[in-house]
Amino acid sequence: MEEKRTLTCYRCNVDLKAQKTYFEYLGHSFHADVLRCPECGEVYISEGLAKGRIAEVEMQLEDK
Amino acid sequence: MVEREIIRKTYSVCPKCLRRLTARYVRINGSVYMQKECPEHGEFCTVIWRGYMDMDDWTKNSGETADEGNPNCPNDCGLCSYHAQDTCCTLLEVTDRCNLNCRFCFADNGDSPDPTLEQIRLWLNKLAKPGKTLVQLSGGEPTVRDDLPQIVAAAKEAGCRYVQLNSNGIRLAEDEEYLEKLARAGLSFVFMQFDGTRDAIYQKLRGRRLLEIKQQAIENCAHYNIGVTLVPTLVPGVNTHNIGDILKFAIARSPMVRGVHFQPVSFLGRIPELPADYMRFTLDELLVSIEEQAGGLIKLKNIIPSRCNHPLCGFHGNFVVMPDNIVPLLHRERAGEGCCSPTTADKNRAFISRRWQRQPQGKGNPSCCCGKESDINSMEYFLRRVKTHGFTVTAMAFQDAGNIDLERLRWCSLHVFDRDRFVPFCSYYLSRWQKQWS
Repeated sequence: MEEKRTLTCYRCNVDLKAQKTYFEYLGHSFHADVLRCPECGEVYISEGLAKGRIAEVEMQLEDK
Repeated sequence: MVEREIIRKTYSVCPKCLRRLTARYVRINGSVYMQKECPEHGEFCTVIWRGYMDMDDWTKNSGETADEGNPNCPNDCGLCSYHAQDTCCTLLEVTDRCNLNCRFCFADNGDSPDPTLEQIRLWLNKLAKPGKTLVQLSGGEPTVRDDLPQIVAAAKEAGCRYVQLNSNGIRLAEDEEYLEKLARAGLSFVFMQFDGTRDAIYQKLRGRRLLEIKQQAIENCAHYNIGVTLVPTLVPGVNTHNIGDILKFAIARSPMVRGVHFQPVSFLGRIPELPADYMRFTLDELLVSIEEQAGGLIKLKNIIPSRCNHPLCGFHGNFVVMPDNIVPLLHRERAGEGCCSPTTADKNRAFISRRWQRQPQGKGNPSCCCGKESDINSMEYFLRRVKTHGFTVTAMAFQDAGNIDLERLRWCSLHVFDRDRFVPFCSYYLSRWQKQWS
């Protein structure tokens, strides 16, 4: 997605990599490429993603 | 043995004299009727719900009208302190004239002189809440006015965010130059009368064959990027068997067609005869007909009772049209979940406008119908597709003198602007049946 910087997992000390990640909301499942630690699987959700596309998906799925 | 159970009290009116009456919902052998008695004109009983579904499960938390409610309701109606919902859509009549002479017409229009453009401009300035208002230009048939583009422009200048046209589509099909002017003036979307996919239906309801005209109107609107929502008036014995074909017709024309908005016949304004129960098409009949006739495309579980209005006044379903199927976004068992309850008129207006207005065309908004990706589970693809190919299945069951429930009226969000007042739709068009008998 829009993340270009190199981020490092605080726990494993390895670079996060963009990987297909699934999100579930109101019975729907969506995937997007999100930065994730290849060792422990920890996911990094940027503020831009949370307030942008994820919030937009939520709005589209909610009953008004 | 007849099973009879009083399930709810409310207030209504006498169909003959419009006097305010107490009324009750009575379940008799599974069906629900409204019963009321006028001291002058006797008893009246009207079917509300046939019993194909559980009405209590559908209406859930809707309450009874408090005894201390407005004793003048619905006479002398305008929004009062007892009204429970804000304005979602403001209807403004711009003419009484029409180019059809329909068997049913809530407005029962004639040929009184049109209000002037300046008069309409004054009304628009009064009714508009800048940046919010959705105004529906109605009539009569608004397109009989040559200055309708100026009216649309005046609505935008007044600050209306959305300008919706309520039309039979005839002029939109036949006069493309006129449609272009409407588009340039800022018309947002069209509510187009569309009673079925067969000409016999139009012949019976509207007095002439109109299917080809409707198709042309849809294509012309698409050319100017104006979304069209199809609005069938459902009359038992005329087009209630055509519900599935209407839905399939509309879905096949996504994204030109943005949805179908069903209106079961109500006995307001001009009606051909005294209504009897077999002439009504209840909300639960409509719901089960959609599932039965749509060939598996649309399931009942994906249709939600109205939350902006009373649950007995309508419903909505929200879908994404894919090349080979249609994906539901709402599930009734999850209705109300999420962070945005309760539904307000503002939220409802934002929802319907998001769906009924087409995305601007251009480089920044690539149509996703031709792209390689078609995985609806991809967040990126979903967000593109839902904007271009979102599709609604909605309904509004207007009330008439036979079945009007003042508690339903209290929740109405569709308001007619007239003489500086906002009047709930079914109260504004409420008419005595006696006119038709005598």
